Amino acid sequence: MTELLAQSAWLIPCYPLMGMLLSILWFPSITRRTGPRPAGYVNLIMTFIAFAHGVLAFPAVWQHAPITLEATWLEVAGLKLSLPIEISGLTIGAIVLVTGLNFLSQFYAVGYLEMDWGWARFFSLLALFEAGMCALVLCDSLFFSYVILEMLTLGTYLLVGFWFNQSLVVTGARDAFLTKRIGDLFLLMGVLALYPLAGTWNFSELAQWAQTAQVDPKVITLVGLALLAGPMGKCAQFPLHLWLDEAMEGPIPSTILRNSVVVATGAWLLVKLEPVLALSPTVMNAAIAIGAVSAIGGTLISIAQIDAKRALSYLVTAYMGLTFIAVGTGQTQAALLLCLTHAMAMGLLVMGTGSIILNNITQDLTQLGGLWSRRPISGLAVAIGGLGLVALPPLGGFWAMLKLADGLWTTRPVLVAIVLLVNALAAFSVTRTFGAIFAGKRQQMSERSPENIWTITVPMTLLLGFTLHLPIILDALDLLPNWAVLNKDVALLLTWSSIFGISISGVLYIGQAVARPIHLPWKPLQDLFAYDFYTPRLYRSSVVGSVDLVSRLTDWVDRYLVDGLVNFVGIASIFGGETLKYGNSGQMQFYALTITTGAIALIAILLTFLN
Amino acid sequence: MQLQYFLLLAAALFCIGIYGLVTSRNAIRVLMSIELLLNAVNINLMSFSNYLDSEGIRGQVFTVFVITIAAAEAAVGLAIVLSIYRNRGTVDMEQFNLLKW
Repeated sequence: MTELLAQSAWLIPCYPLMGMLLSILWFPSITRRTGPRPAGYVNLIMTFIAFAHGVLAFPAVWQHAPITLEATWLEVAGLKLSLPIEISGLTIGAIVLVTGLNFLSQFYAVGYLEMDWGWARFFSLLALFEAGMCALVLCDSLFFSYVILEMLTLGTYLLVGFWFNQSLVVTGARDAFLTKRIGDLFLLMGVLALYPLAGTWNFSELAQWAQTAQVDPKVITLVGLALLAGPMGKCAQFPLHLWLDEAMEGPIPSTILRNSVVVATGAWLLVKLEPVLALSPTVMNAAIAIGAVSAIGGTLISIAQIDAKRALSYLVTAYMGLTFIAVGTGQTQAALLLCLTHAMAMGLLVMGTGSIILNNITQDLTQLGGLWSRRPISGLAVAIGGLGLVALPPLGGFWAMLKLADGLWTTRPVLVAIVLLVNALAAFSVTRTFGAIFAGKRQQMSERSPENIWTITVPMTLLLGFTLHLPIILDALDLLPNWAVLNKDVALLLTWSSIFGISISGVLYIGQAVARPIHLPWKPLQDLFAYDFYTPRLYRSSVVGSVDLVSRLTDWVDRYLVDGLVNFVGIASIFGGETLKYGNSGQMQFYALTITTGAIALIAILLTFLN
Repeated sequence: MQLQYFLLLAAALFCIGIYGLVTSRNAIRVLMSIELLLNAVNINLMSFSNYLDSEGIRGQVFTVFVITIAAAEAAVGLAIVLSIYRNRGTVDMEQFNLLKW
């Protein structure tokens, strides 16, 4: 039975797709009388079926040889586009994570979108994401991964633009689409340039090819950088990170998904492409550099945010930066583990803060406070989510970071220092968020704050449980690093960096010793972090500005030079006719003169030519 | 006496006729200039017939016809001028520029 389920795992993306199609029935323009709620319930059922399928199929593939299926999509002269599917422990595990988090966030959305009529649209888009992510992890082809990533980019546009009558939502959706598109288009260049080199787009064959490939180092560097640019946009890495900040304008249940899983789609592709990227040391170093800059920058910006959602979104950039570092140093296992623990912890963090935001309306951290006694469950969710994110034993994040730092310890000690720094800063940031919401005095906005209804609390506590049990699950699956061969110093350093960050932040934000709002001694530095290194201004002055200028210029050239040239011909003809008509003077004698002159001229010409 | 001198005289007369035709403001003088042109032609015909075709003298026959037709044309021309004068009360050629652009 489980064997059969494993064989038919390719059906899993089809369930949410069906849910997506069924949701259409409850669009307000189609079902006009009974409301959109069944759309949500149908999708919940479909997601649960997908989740159950994944969970039941998991034992059949874990520690077994992967099942590969292949379907031909298109066969034309010289090119066969086949859709290979790999059903392995890793892919089914990823599917379980994706569908599980989807189920929880859809459950959460049932409570969160209680007062919203747009369920059909919202749930159909969530289902599209779920189907896309399941298909992405199943498909074993770079080409189809690109196809799915582009679909997800469109999905992001629609999902961020869910409440499209808000102006910030419209600009946020625009930026999310365009920024990710730029990355995707670079990825397309890489994908297209890789085919003549490797002759295949299947990840497994690419890995084989990469082992013995003899390619011009410049070529493979350029191809590798293009392949890196796609995940760079997807994972919201510097400098393509602004979209994630603006995507926080979307509904929180979708934010749960985006922050935990969707951005990890880029990391997944990166992990799959690691053998190809490893062909060029420049590309690997670029990945490390991008990851390090994003990780440090993301945590620093996150500390300076006053918006609860944005304080978390920059941490996503930072942790995806750590996966970039992991892939850049060839540690794909650590990268995947980091994605897993980050997804659970970050999902929990967003659920917890979302639960606060729903009842307190404001997202401003400076206007919240003192909620611990009244919102213990949400508080626990944020606290455990935060602790699960940073490296604090025995929670999941510790093991992922340990694996990463352990691998870096002997080869690249500088990167260990960066990981420790990022970890301390992230610990500072999550503790600050927690402290700003739950500690301190109650403020006007948080004066009365009831705990949420069960549809929000239940998925939150379920994810809380999963996050707490993650080390045990990892242990059962034999995924934890072996304690006996581990470098204990790394573990100790990581733990200390977390404790360091948490305690300093705790003194500043949970303790009442320092007056709030806290100011850095140098105001421009604080503003620099708070305004995200002025990235919008940077975009506008560089890329947006130049594209805008060039398009205005080409518009002007088209309008005045090209059109002008054509119009000039017409105008010249009109002008010629208007002027030459005065040759018809109405004077008979003038005509006689013309005839005579013409005759003389004709004779003169004839004489010239005849002689 | 040579043929060329006659031809040159005829050409000169023709040119004077053209000048008169183009510049005169009086319609009658335009008709008179046309007569000058025709007479220049006649001189041509006569001289050609004398020097080149003294046996057949076909040019003289042509000249007779030209004189005849010229008389008829002058009659019709004067009639046209008269009828314009009746309508517009003037024979000034510069007043007859109604059919322009």
